[in-house]
Amino acid sequence: MSAAAVGAVLERELLKLARQRGRLVAALARPLLWLLVIGAGFAALGKGNGASDYQGYLVPGVIGMTLLFGGMLASLSTVYDKESGVMRMLIIAPIAHYWIVIAKAAGATLVALAQALALLVVLAVLGFIHPPASVLLMIAGLIGTALTCASLGILIAAWSGSVDNFATLMNLVIFPVFFLSGSLYPVERLPPVLRLVASINPYTHGVDLLRHAEFTGAGGAAFSVVVDLAVLIGFSAVALGLAAARFSSASANEPLVRRLAQ
Amino acid sequence: MPPAAAPIAIETSALTKRYGDTLAVDAMDLSIAAGQFFGLLGPNGAGKTSAIHMLSTLIKPTSGTARVAGCDVAVDPLQIRARIGVVFQELALDRTLSVAENLRFAGLLNGMSRAEIKRRGEELLEIFGLGSKRDAPVATLSGGMRRALDIVRGLIHAPDILFLDEPTSGLDLPGRRAIWRYIAQLRAAHGITVFLTTHYLEEASDCDQVAFLALGRIKLRGDPRALVEQLGRHVLEIETDTPAVLAERLNARLGEALVEGDMVQFLCNQPLAELSALQVELAESVRAVRWRRPNLNDVFMWVNRPVGDLRRAA
Repeated sequence: MSAAAVGAVLERELLKLARQRGRLVAALARPLLWLLVIGAGFAALGKGNGASDYQGYLVPGVIGMTLLFGGMLASLSTVYDKESGVMRMLIIAPIAHYWIVIAKAAGATLVALAQALALLVVLAVLGFIHPPASVLLMIAGLIGTALTCASLGILIAAWSGSVDNFATLMNLVIFPVFFLSGSLYPVERLPPVLRLVASINPYTHGVDLLRHAEFTGAGGAAFSVVVDLAVLIGFSAVALGLAAARFSSASANEPLVRRLAQ
Repeated sequence: MPPAAAPIAIETSALTKRYGDTLAVDAMDLSIAAGQFFGLLGPNGAGKTSAIHMLSTLIKPTSGTARVAGCDVAVDPLQIRARIGVVFQELALDRTLSVAENLRFAGLLNGMSRAEIKRRGEELLEIFGLGSKRDAPVATLSGGMRRALDIVRGLIHAPDILFLDEPTSGLDLPGRRAIWRYIAQLRAAHGITVFLTTHYLEEASDCDQVAFLALGRIKLRGDPRALVEQLGRHVLEIETDTPAVLAERLNARLGEALVEGDMVQFLCNQPLAELSALQVELAESVRAVRWRRPNLNDVFMWVNRPVGDLRRAA
């Protein structure tokens, strides 16, 4: 029954994504803007310094960006659900409440992947990517990054009370996570403190894994595949575990129930 | 009173919920037979919603026990949630989806097959007057239709017990009447147990059993018709500028008075001729005198009347 419930949540997420065309357009416009405008600008700046293929370096970064924004926004939407009818349907369903966390995280992962696949098609058409050296690493990188971003979003959503917090969270979490990663510049060239922060940032390892898949010819991976996978899987498991525990505990659940149905 | 042989749908013993210093539900004992229409009545804040949340396993009792659909709320919450339908005060619907999509989502969450959801959904939409709205987005439905759909949503998985928490609040009169007509049809067709909370007392007059809740405690319970009958044959209402004086003056003849603002009420079993005589006698000294049949509202007012140090707003 719980698997069917997860399926129902996934179906609803995809249905909504398919209806909100603007969301898909925005999900494609943001990374393309970075790649084509900022990427070209930085490439010009770096000319003569050996930074010949900055755009090629940036491609895994903007794919990661799509997964980050797509996954985080989709799972942070749980904050909205907390005050909506959908959460009422979920809490009264005959499933343990931690399944709500799992279903929402799975839904956010799927939404992020759908957006990234659309971007991959556009990038392939524009000639920015070629067939990856390792399809398996490519799939692992996409799914691992999407799951990590979705889990981070769920973790925050589980602790944030109201929708008012939402915008603050966006600015306080998404942007630092994006800038302090290997998306825009090589981690190993950052100053020591920032390099340390970027190395701890689980999202860094998602982008790094995508670089390992070698679909742009730019290389640039800073960590080993094993470390990347361990961080992505480990972080997701811990984040989802904490969020599920929080969601199932009476102290968190009762205020939620009262807010949903005073 | 339910016949002894009828299976029990809901049974609680000293069920209690405490939030900090506030006793939301205070040692509630209930016994509701399967198929009954039960009404938990009381003003806002009396503890009705807390009681529903405990019975539907969404919050844990502080103490006491409750068995719903044969299972203990503390032991088998999932088993219970599979066998009950809950309609919250606020809608449990996704406004961005259509009527049919909402029912599909709710049905799948309850582990139903798509074919089952379609069949059951169509039958229920027909009963609830939404047969032609299958593909309409929820956002385009009127308040009454949304509420009707929300009840269909609560019934999609064919629960044994339906909890309705203030199902008609915020609806206009035709909308409220429509909801009660649908519920009556549903009970006739499926014999489902219905647990209702409301503060519109006239809506509870069709219940098999009601309980009046005030500050978390059940003050009175029974068949609503019997409760109204026990109250007296008539309610005498007198409007006056000096309610306290009048209540005192008529005390010997009419018994205890219920004073509310400038209105003095007495419960009377005297023949109407006697009341007519009183009406003539008082005609010059008061603003109005009238008598009428009592109803559930009167039961509630008399149960909650201010008495001595228990003085409370009803």
